[in-house]
Amino acid sequence: MKIINFCKVLILLTTFLVSTGFAQSNKILIINSDNSVFRYETIAIEFKKVLQQNAYQWIEFNLNSHVDAEVKLKQLILQENPEFIYCIGTKAYSLARNHAENRKLLFSAAINWRRLDVSEGTYGVANELSPAQEISLLRYFFPAIKNIGLLYNDKFSREYVETIKKDALALGINIVNQPINDAQEISEALNELLPKIELFWIISDPVVLSSKASVQQIFQSAKQQKKPVYAYSDVYIEQGAVMAISADLATIGRQSANLALMMDKDKVPEGTVQSPAGSTVTLNKCALDALQLGFNQDALDSVNKIVECGK
Amino acid sequence: MKRVFSVFFICFLFIAGSYWSAHSNTGSVIYFYNPETNINNFATLKTAFDTYLVNHGGYYFQPFDNKEKFEAVVYEKKGDIYLLSSWHLKALQQKNVPLKIALVGTSKGSTMQRKVLSTKKDIVNVNMLKNTVVAGAGSEEYIQSVLKQILGKEQESLLKDIKILIVPKDIDAIMAVGFGMATAAISAESSLDKLAMINPNQFRELHGLGFSEKDYLLVAATLKKSEQQEAPLLEILRKMPEDAGEENLKLLGIDGWRALQ
Repeated sequence: MKIINFCKVLILLTTFLVSTGFAQSNKILIINSDNSVFRYETIAIEFKKVLQQNAYQWIEFNLNSHVDAEVKLKQLILQENPEFIYCIGTKAYSLARNHAENRKLLFSAAINWRRLDVSEGTYGVANELSPAQEISLLRYFFPAIKNIGLLYNDKFSREYVETIKKDALALGINIVNQPINDAQEISEALNELLPKIELFWIISDPVVLSSKASVQQIFQSAKQQKKPVYAYSDVYIEQGAVMAISADLATIGRQSANLALMMDKDKVPEGTVQSPAGSTVTLNKCALDALQLGFNQDALDSVNKIVECGK
Repeated sequence: MKRVFSVFFICFLFIAGSYWSAHSNTGSVIYFYNPETNINNFATLKTAFDTYLVNHGGYYFQPFDNKEKFEAVVYEKKGDIYLLSSWHLKALQQKNVPLKIALVGTSKGSTMQRKVLSTKKDIVNVNMLKNTVVAGAGSEEYIQSVLKQILGKEQESLLKDIKILIVPKDIDAIMAVGFGMATAAISAESSLDKLAMINPNQFRELHGLGFSEKDYLLVAATLKKSEQQEAPLLEILRKMPEDAGEENLKLLGIDGWRALQ
């Protein structure tokens, strides 16, 4: 009788542990490329907050804290046997891939993730907003703008520019794109491009942005022809971009965590790489006023930072 | 002689102090916290409102990104003006905090709003939201509360199987559904109108699966036993749209104020 009762208790206990999330004790390894980098650390902090709320366990490995990081990482993976690995930054992802041994991988903050070696069992949150998100937000602020121009290098950015063109067309915006082979062609290309457009878009192209002089050339020409410049990052605000829209770092961390929780329950198709869900908007009122360019004032409640003249 | 000087000095301090306190507005501060948005724009808000208010009576604006810190200021009952969401005001009133509405924010003539649970059209009932992500702007507590209201008692149990993704603003939440980062979004109804304007294709793909009750937009509240010094500050706030302050109000998602009858 006692044995039967013991078995009943054992069955009940097992059922309880399984149903109340014993599986949630799955260990996640977080590899941070460099936790002294603000953007990486912001993402990591938000990621851990969500894990904590959902009673998940994790271990952290900061690559910058170890001289022989790859050897130590390999040992740690063998020792801790994590269910899956979250990689913050390209370096973390590249190392993790070598030693993951069929574990699920999740990445974020990897610049241009399409260049990464991504295979089955890999998931991610991209570093850059999708062109459609950027164009939608651009339309929100500047609904009257219909022709946007950009420079790009065919080798590095052809696919990206094709996506921009397709997404823009769906929103009734015409993209006038001008390919360049090297930075020496910027001046001539801008002379041809700027008269045809109402706004110039700086995309993250390594040839167009190859030097400080190239960037200066863009802003100088745009200023001469009184054309506003929109950029993918707020580092260009100081130089005169009227607006910058980029991914919100804290949201990337939270989004990655939600993706991890869904991965754990096999609720996400393998190979899923999401665009960041949150955006950060910087508006340069000083540059807008100088160009006498109006914007949709109802969109002000979506601005994170306004730059006024002299501030 | 020393005693005469001391008496004169004390009198001088008293008179100067009285004059200073009568002609300055130290202690008259507008405190702001809104759990219905998650935009980290506090520096911009502070600069814009301080610049305006200093030139309109020498008042100050203090935004908060933390509910507890904001509430600590309310509990101190300093006798200032508090800008907060009506949801938060009700929560404080339930805790017997003696706040009353002095002004309600308006947007395009309306003082009320309701929240919508939007999904793509293939999601036909809330049960399909089990094990999915719902995006929303604001504090997690606020989003949970709105979802709970929309789901109703019968479906409330679904909440534990829904992951909340906090994003900076309404438009991010709605676009997250369109671009596949979330299955549903909680947003103001007016934000869907914005989506219709900026991305009509995406707007057509969505539908409202549920709606919250209507509630006021941002409110300006004072303590029930209000101090006289608040009246001029409330008047300045009320007149902001006509007195070059509309742009500041738009940063808060409103375009004017209306006194409650």
